[in-house]
Amino acid sequence: MNKGKDKITSGLLDDNTVLSAFMVISPVIMCGDTLQNALALIYAFSLITFFSVLFASFVPKRLPYALKIIIYAVIASLVYIPVKLLAGEIYPESIERIGIYYPLLAVNSLIVFRTESKFFLMKRGKMVGSLMFCILGFDSVMIITGFIRELIAYGTINSHIVDINTLMTGIAQPFGGFIFLGLFCGLYRKIRSSLLRDEDEAVRSAENVSDK
Amino acid sequence: MFLINDLITLLAANLILTQALGTSTIFIAAASKKNLVGIASVVTIFTTSGSAAVYFINRITGEKYNDFALLFYVLAVGIIYVLMLFLFRFIGKKSFERTRKYIHISAYNCAVMGTLFTVSERFSSGTSALTDYIKMGFEAGIGFIIAAFILTAAYRTLNSAKVPASFRGFPAMLVYLGIISMAVYALK
Repeated sequence: MNKGKDKITSGLLDDNTVLSAFMVISPVIMCGDTLQNALALIYAFSLITFFSVLFASFVPKRLPYALKIIIYAVIASLVYIPVKLLAGEIYPESIERIGIYYPLLAVNSLIVFRTESKFFLMKRGKMVGSLMFCILGFDSVMIITGFIRELIAYGTINSHIVDINTLMTGIAQPFGGFIFLGLFCGLYRKIRSSLLRDEDEAVRSAENVSDK
Repeated sequence: MFLINDLITLLAANLILTQALGTSTIFIAAASKKNLVGIASVVTIFTTSGSAAVYFINRITGEKYNDFALLFYVLAVGIIYVLMLFLFRFIGKKSFERTRKYIHISAYNCAVMGTLFTVSERFSSGTSALTDYIKMGFEAGIGFIIAAFILTAAYRTLNSAKVPASFRGFPAMLVYLGIISMAVYALK
C-alpha cells in the first residue's frame, strides 16, 4: 500500500520532472528569471499537461507508436489554444517575454513520451494522481528558480524592490540559468541522498533493536 | 579566417547555447558517439525539412491564424516523422531498426519545435525566400551537432568519480554548458 502511495507522489521529489527526469529544462533556464514569468509558465504547463495527458489516455492503445505520439502532440497543441488565449488576459506582459517557450510547453516530454512509458501503464485514477504530482514537481522547481533568480538578478520579489546590496545580473541570462539549475540539481541530490541515508540508518537501527 | 568567422557566427547563433533549446535531447546525444551521430543527423533533417514546411505554412495561413501555428507545425513535423519512418523502412530493415529510436527521440522535442518557431519569428516580415528558411533550419541542426560535440568531449570527465557524487552527471553537465554558454554570450 505504501509502495503504491510512493509511486503516486514520486513525481514531486523522487522522480522530479526537472531535477530527476531532466525534462522541460529549456523554459526553466530561459524564462525562469522572474516570479511573474514562473507563474505564467506554471499556469500554462499545469493546464496543458493535465488536460492533454487526460484526453490522450482515451486514445486506443493498439495504434502504432509513432501515430500515438503524433496524436498526443496534436491533442496538446489543441489544448494550448484556449490556454494561450486566456493567458493573454491574465499574464499579458509575461506572454510576450516568454515568447516561443510558451508553445514549446505543449510538446514537452511529459506529454509526448512519459504518457507511454509511465502514465498509461497505470489505472486512470492513479494516473491522474501521479500526473498531478509530476506537475507539482515542475511547478515547485519553477517557482523556486523564479524567486531566487529574480531576487539575485534584479533585487526584487514579484517586481517589488527588496533591499539587497549585491546583484548578479548574469543569473538572469541563459548561462546563469544553466549554472543555477546545475547547482540547484546538485543540492537537491545532496539533500535527497542524506535523507535516504538517515532513513536507511533508522531502518537498520530498528532492525538491530528487534534482533535483541 | 573566413572559416573562423563562420564558426563564430554558428556558435553565436547556436540555439542550445544561447536559447537552451533541446537541452534534454543533447544529454542523450552526448552519452555515446553512436547516439551523437544518429540523433544529430536526424535532428538536422527535422530542422531543415521542418523549416521548409514553416515557409509554406506561413505563406498559406498568414498572421490571421497565429494561434494555430503550433498545431500546423505539429502536423508538419508529424508528416515528416511518418515519411522518415517509411523511408528508412524502405531502405532496409536493418537501417530502420538502427534509426527508429533516433527518429522517435528527435521528432517532438524543443530543439526541432524551437527551431521552427525561431525561424518563423526571424522571417516574420514575409519577404524571405524558401532558401533562407532551409538555410536557417540547417544551421540550427549544425549548431545542435556542435553543442553535442562540445558536451561529448567532456562527458566522461563530468560523469567520472572525480566529480562529487551529488554533482556527477546531469548537474555537472549543466554547469559545464553554462560556462560554454557564457563564452558564447561574450561572442555575441
